[in-house]
Amino acid sequence: MSASLKSKLPVALAWIIGVIAIWEIGAWSLVNIFHDPMATQKLPFLHDIVRVMAQNWASLMDSASVTVSKAALGFLYGSIAGFVIAIVMSLSRNVERVAFPYLIISQMIPILGLAPIIYNIVKDGDTARVVISAYITFFPVSINTLGGIKSVEKDRLDLMYSYAAGKFQVYRKLIIPSAMPYLMSGLKIAAPLSVTAAILVEMLGTDEGIGVKILYTLYYGAGGATMFWASVITSALLGILGYVLISLAEKLLMPWQNTTSKRGGEDA
Amino acid sequence: MNTPEIRIENVSMVYSDNGASVKALDNVSIDIQKGEFISLLGPSGCGKTTLLRIIGDLLQPTSGNVLVCDQTPRQTRMDQKYGIVFQSPVLFDWRTISKNIRLPLEIMKVPREEQNRRIESLLELVGLSKFADHYPHQLSGGMQQRVGIARALAIQPEILLMDEPFSALDEFTREKLNEDVLQIWSKTNKTVVFVTHNIAESVFMSDRVCVLSPHPGRLSAIVDIDLPRPRTKEMRDWPEFNALVAKIRNSFEGV
Repeated sequence: MSASLKSKLPVALAWIIGVIAIWEIGAWSLVNIFHDPMATQKLPFLHDIVRVMAQNWASLMDSASVTVSKAALGFLYGSIAGFVIAIVMSLSRNVERVAFPYLIISQMIPILGLAPIIYNIVKDGDTARVVISAYITFFPVSINTLGGIKSVEKDRLDLMYSYAAGKFQVYRKLIIPSAMPYLMSGLKIAAPLSVTAAILVEMLGTDEGIGVKILYTLYYGAGGATMFWASVITSALLGILGYVLISLAEKLLMPWQNTTSKRGGEDA
Repeated sequence: MNTPEIRIENVSMVYSDNGASVKALDNVSIDIQKGEFISLLGPSGCGKTTLLRIIGDLLQPTSGNVLVCDQTPRQTRMDQKYGIVFQSPVLFDWRTISKNIRLPLEIMKVPREEQNRRIESLLELVGLSKFADHYPHQLSGGMQQRVGIARALAIQPEILLMDEPFSALDEFTREKLNEDVLQIWSKTNKTVVFVTHNIAESVFMSDRVCVLSPHPGRLSAIVDIDLPRPRTKEMRDWPEFNALVAKIRNSFEGV
């Protein structure tokens, strides 16, 4: 793991430095080359944004923690629902046949349209955030888990069959553990999405949250564009945080994947 | 003679795929005695693996009868009397070596103390005591296959079914494992059905070699291997050994 971290570090550094450089050059060009009078509104200097973030750290973190707590709750419910739906679909071909097309259709309803509907029904920003986060989470989790369940190797199923293992044992000892990496990929996709979903609901009108900050600073310009950008960057960091936490959980839960990148089990 | 441990009577197997049907086994009959080490030998397409899977209730024959321990393969499987070693080790990569061996013991609800006792002695038997807490991918192919064998033996099965267990291994590892398996077998005295496409391996291991010929899979000869036991690697150079290998090879050219 430390070896892979070492090899990734230069690439990550190159990206970070590259983005900072392009940003600063862009902001500088707007002011000094294009002489754009609105330059600081369009693209403030990154170092200004970082300074504003530091100055407003406490208030940004207050908003962020509200957003994250709702998103996390929705993420939890959505993950459980997605996992259970995948298990049920794998147990019954009929359930899969009936449910699967509707799962796909459910994802075709634009979340931008659905969020206001839910918000109107529950009349409560907190509940709406949790519901929408859960809604956006369950799909990638359930599709990935189902894919994992279906790709269990036939030899392994034959082995369990030869032991006359019961269905529950086959799920507990074989199917669920071998679907875990797939479940984790689903969770990694869903974690940043659940934050996005919570922010979306916040923009429809809640009292607090990072989405409220983004909206407020965009229209009312408290602290100007720099504060708007600071809020946007904070929200982006929340999504990244979600992804990183799931990746860490994956490493802790699946230690057999740490030692080398690929398993060499089947090529003997 | 006693009633055979495994009785295969007129077994035929036809696979049909999109209307085209392929006859994998044609009217095969073999009796296997308790404690016997028997090989099913033949080139690919001779139905040897199919026959093994029929014995183990992983496949149902199109026609014919199989009795194992005086009952159907299904009943024998439900009684948890089979140990199967597959071509690939089929280890669970999320379980350590000792936990892989523990798997069938958990399923069969063997008491924990007894599980530990068996795992310890099996790890010693296959020479992997030091690797108990390793994960499968940290082991070489030969070591993984040993774990597969240990796992099959853990449940102390009446019948050990081995489906080309060493075909993916290099010659040196294969010959070493041949000797190891014979040594283990001599201690446990199970009935073993061993599928292979390697003539020398089948001669070295078996009491009898069932030679199967392909398209459709038929039993073309049963060759008694009257070499003394325990078999040693020096025997591979014996004239009798080579005569048996030649005899089996010739029985293929006849078909």
